[in-house]
Formats: sequence, C-alpha cells, structure tokens
Amino acid sequence: MLAQILAVIIFLSMFILIVTEIWERHIVTLGCGLLTLLLVFGLGMRSVDAAIETLNIKSIFTTSFWYAAGEAAESSSGINWATIIFIAGMMIMVEGMARVGFFRWLCMKIAKMVHYRVIPIFVTFMILSAFLAMFIDSITVILFLAAVTIELSQLLKFNPIPMILSEVFCANLGGSATMCGDPPNIIIGTSLGYSFGDFITNTGVLAGISLVAVLVYFFLAFRKELQRSAENVGDTSSFPDPKEAITDMRGFVISTVIFLCAVVMLVTHAQTGLTVAFIGTFIAAVTLITSGRNALSLIKRVDYKTLLFFIGLFVVVGGLEQTGILNVIASFIGTISGGNIMLMIAIIIWISAVASAFIDNIPFAATMIPVIKSLAATQGVDLSILAWTLAIGTDIGGSATPIGASANVVGIATAAKEGYIIKWGKYCKVMAPATIIVVALSMVMIYVRYF
Amino acid sequence: MDKQVIISVGREFGSGGHEIAQKLSEIYKLPLYDHNLLDEMVEKTNLSNQELRALDETKRSKLFSRTVRGLNNSATHNVALLQFDFLKKKADSGESFVVVGRCSETILKDNPGLISIFILGDKEAKIKRVMEIYGLSRVEAQAAMCEKDRRRKQYHNSYCPGKWGDSRNYELSVNSSKLGVDECVKVICRYIDARIAGM
Repeated sequence: MLAQILAVIIFLSMFILIVTEIWERHIVTLGCGLLTLLLVFGLGMRSVDAAIETLNIKSIFTTSFWYAAGEAAESSSGINWATIIFIAGMMIMVEGMARVGFFRWLCMKIAKMVHYRVIPIFVTFMILSAFLAMFIDSITVILFLAAVTIELSQLLKFNPIPMILSEVFCANLGGSATMCGDPPNIIIGTSLGYSFGDFITNTGVLAGISLVAVLVYFFLAFRKELQRSAENVGDTSSFPDPKEAITDMRGFVISTVIFLCAVVMLVTHAQTGLTVAFIGTFIAAVTLITSGRNALSLIKRVDYKTLLFFIGLFVVVGGLEQTGILNVIASFIGTISGGNIMLMIAIIIWISAVASAFIDNIPFAATMIPVIKSLAATQGVDLSILAWTLAIGTDIGGSATPIGASANVVGIATAAKEGYIIKWGKYCKVMAPATIIVVALSMVMIYVRYF
Repeated sequence: MDKQVIISVGREFGSGGHEIAQKLSEIYKLPLYDHNLLDEMVEKTNLSNQELRALDETKRSKLFSRTVRGLNNSATHNVALLQFDFLKKKADSGESFVVVGRCSETILKDNPGLISIFILGDKEAKIKRVMEIYGLSRVEAQAAMCEKDRRRKQYHNSYCPGKWGDSRNYELSVNSSKLGVDECVKVICRYIDARIAGM
C-alpha cells in the first residue's frame, strides 16, 4: 500500500512539475525516476528485482533486442531502451539531413513544382507535412516547413497562419500513421510487439482517410484567405532556386540515400526481423561514418534532453506498473464500460484525446500501455484494437490546443518570430473542431472495421 | 549627440519614473520608447494595437504555455521577444534613445552606450501621486499600485537573471519621493553627463 501511494504521489508530482516548467522536463522525470527507485522499489516494495526489471538493462544484451525472428515485444515494464535507441538514431539521421539542406530543398522544390500558386502550395504542404511526419519527428518537419511557408508568404504576400496551422495538424496526423511517426506509437509498437506494417495497415489507413477529410476541412475553413491570396503570384523568376538550399551536394545525396534506406528498413522490418533498435543504431552509424568531420557536431546536436526525459519517464511509469496501480485503472475502465467493447473504445479514444490536448502525450501513452494490456487480458478484448485506439487518441488529441503537441508549439513560435502571433483563441477556433472531427471519424472507422 | 546613448529607465508604479524618462528624452533630444514601441511594431505583426497592449509587460501563464527546444507558444512571451528583438535592432543600428522598462537594462546590457536607472518611491508618496493622476480613491490607488508592480516584477523576473528593482542590476537607483521629479531629473542628468563624458 505504501509503495502504491508513493508511486502515485511521484507520478502526479512529475506531471505537475512538467506542466509548471520550474525545472526542465528531463530533470523532472530523472529526479522522479530516482525517487521511484529509492522510495517505491526500495522503501515501499523492498524489491531489488522490481528495480532491476524496471531498469531493464539486460534486455539490450539479448539477441531479440536487435534481431527478432518472429513477433517479439519489448517488456512494457520499465525503460523501453528500443524506443530510446531508435529515437536517438533517427535524431542523428535527421540532423544529417538538415545540415545538408534536405528539408528546405524539398519544400522549395515542391513550391516551385506547383508554380508558386498559393492554394496548390497549401494542399501540397499539408500532404508533405503528413508524409514527412510518418518517418521524421514532427518538430523537425514543422521547423522547416513553417520557416519556408513564412518565406513564401513574404514573397507571395499571403498570411502564413492558415498554412502553418494546417501543416501542424497534418504533421500530428501523419505521425499517427506509422510506428515511427510519433513517440507514443514507437512506445506502443515496441512494447506490444507491433510492426511498421501493422501500424500502416491500421492507424495508417485511419490517418489516410482522415487526411482527405482534413484537407477539405482546412480548405473550407481558410477558403476566404486562400482565395484572396490566390492571385498573388507575379514574377517568380527572382524567387530562390531550390538548389540554393543544398549546402553540400555529396552530403545531400548520401543523406537522401540513408533516409530512403531507413524507410525501406522500417517498412520491411517485420519481414527482415531487424528491430527498430537495430535500425536506429544502423542509421546513426552510417550517418556518422559518412559525415566525416561533421560527425561530432551531429552528435552534439542530438536532443539528449528528450532521451533523458524518456529514461526517467519509463522508470516512473514502471513504478506505477510494478505496484499494480495501472491494473486498478484498467479494472476501473472495464467496470464503467460494463464489458461493452465499443464503449471501452470510446472511453479510451476520447480520454486519450482530451488528455493529450493538455498534457504531454508521451507519459500518457506510456502509462496507458500497461492499462490496455491489462484490459485486453481481463476483458477478453483484442489488444491490437485497443492499441490503435490509444495511438490515434494520443496522436490526434494533441492537435486541439497550442500546448497539446510539440509541433504546435514549434509552429506557433516560428510564426511569432516573424510577427505572426497565434493566440489560444485563434488556434483552438480552427484546430479543436478539426481534432474532434478526426477523432470522431477515427472512432467510427474503428467500429466499422473491427466490429 | 555623437556618441550612442541608451537610457534605460525601470520604475515602480507611481514613482514618476515615466515622467522622468519623458523629461530625459526632451533634455537629451532622444526618442522615447515605452508602450509606443508597440505602435511601431503593429505594422510588423498581425495583431491590433489594442491586442498588443493587452500582452505588453505581462508574464506568460505557465499553465497555458509549453516550451519545446527553447520555443514557446505563449503570445505574451512572443510579444516580449519581439519587443526585445526590436530594441536590440535599434541599439545595434547605433540609434540613441530612452526606453522605459521592457527588461531593457538586461536586454541591452552588452551595449557600451547603455545607462540604466531605476526609479523607486515611498509608498505614501506613490499612492498620493496615483490618486492625483488617475483620479482614484486611496484604496483603488493602492490596489492598482500593487497589481501593476506585481505584474512588472513577474514579467521582469521571468526574462532576466537579476531581480526587478534590485539596485545591483542598475547603475543608479533613485527614490523620487525625497527630491521630487524635477530635482531627480537634475541629479540623473549630472550622472548621465558624467557617464557620457567618460564614454
């Protein structure tokens, strides 16, 4: 009982401290993780085994961590090292791509291909945002896309806010389509043993159909502003050449090849047996080897704070899991849904969406994985359906408010640097209805497809 | 003036700091930047002057904002950063000016032409002044004073390592209640002249 109380207190304190930003979030989760080890496992449970299981270090030294012949799940208990190693690897690859100007080139190339017409740019950038976010973190996608959008808006004299908001939404939506698109999906995939193919054929289909709905929605929502700007093309001969974005042609070619390799490896990992930990390590190693003297600067640019944040977070959630708190939450959901699976789906998707709109979706998803696992075991529900529901709820819900997802914050701040201030009201007026539409649509699609 | 001089005036509400800044700008024939900074910024943003003023010198709400890789979504925060950027560009262009508040003593501290001053006052004298200028009752004046100073302090301290009103952050801290605004201006001018001579 003492261990359970301590685990809950530490978990809630962690959430409050993350929200208040008194300390940086990685310091908060690491501190709370340390307290979990000392107080929950040491003082409350007096169990060294629970602590060792949560730290989960020995899993790295097993063959199945790097190569899984069949379907293999990382233990959902404790630190999910596969997620951390994969994210670190992708960070290095993305830094390599950014260094050579890949993202800016891609955005400018697409704008040129549609002859710098505002409405086609609006549509293609939304699709580009969703596509890139399927493989690359949404922060990087929006950092580059929003910057190019602002640059184009100054050349073509249009208001970039509608386009940036649409891109942000599509980045979050695109992230939900694949196992590597959004951190909650990586955690869900590695914890429950799902492959890239499993995600793309389930959440990917939901995201694809939702993207069509969202394209129509944003076009209608911003049609007046878009149509006003549609005529502002003028002379485009003085516009920057996409090639100017490339800072190192050799590096550009290598980065593109590495990116394509990463995509192929991820798409085929269920067939090849290579785990995401292996893919992350391989991609990082190849990027560093081919970067030569720039390798050190790439390593320095890795967002190690996010990786530390994950480590601490997994330990805190491990505390909740080891003490049985998450089973209590699972049985509570089971009880209020009265064993009705459709109601259970509705509860999970809407609670995930609403929670993710206001709090970080990563700790939420990490907490919910053992909950849905327990629900599946006790209520006889297909775990995969609950997993797709959780992924969609957490990934999409974050779009509703300015603080719901990292991409939102980055998009708003990038626009603000150029004087385009997006307040809560303006943001939520367009993004909250879009979120509700997509979550509702996804829920209906889950019902139709799986029941 | 052949040398670049930037006079930063921090102030407590009701201390007459703004009036002192105005007089300094007249004496040294320098432009004064206070909330009128927003008038210049309004062309470069999508917000109206009224909306910008509502966000001016206000602390961001931590509950409704989030930081990701040093970037923040708060409109208040982003307006503050735009103002800081605007002031830095003015300073970097070599322009001389007087600026009221806006963390200018910290934002522009690397500029060799910066002279930073903080104006404070006795509580009673400040209440009296606020009552006279704004036509408020004693209770209303006291409440307004507390609220304004609380907001300025929170705003300042969320962007600057040094605390608002702490004499260590300013070259000169003057209590305007002892000498009155005009005498304070004379004392400050003597200090500014000496500083300019030493530049």
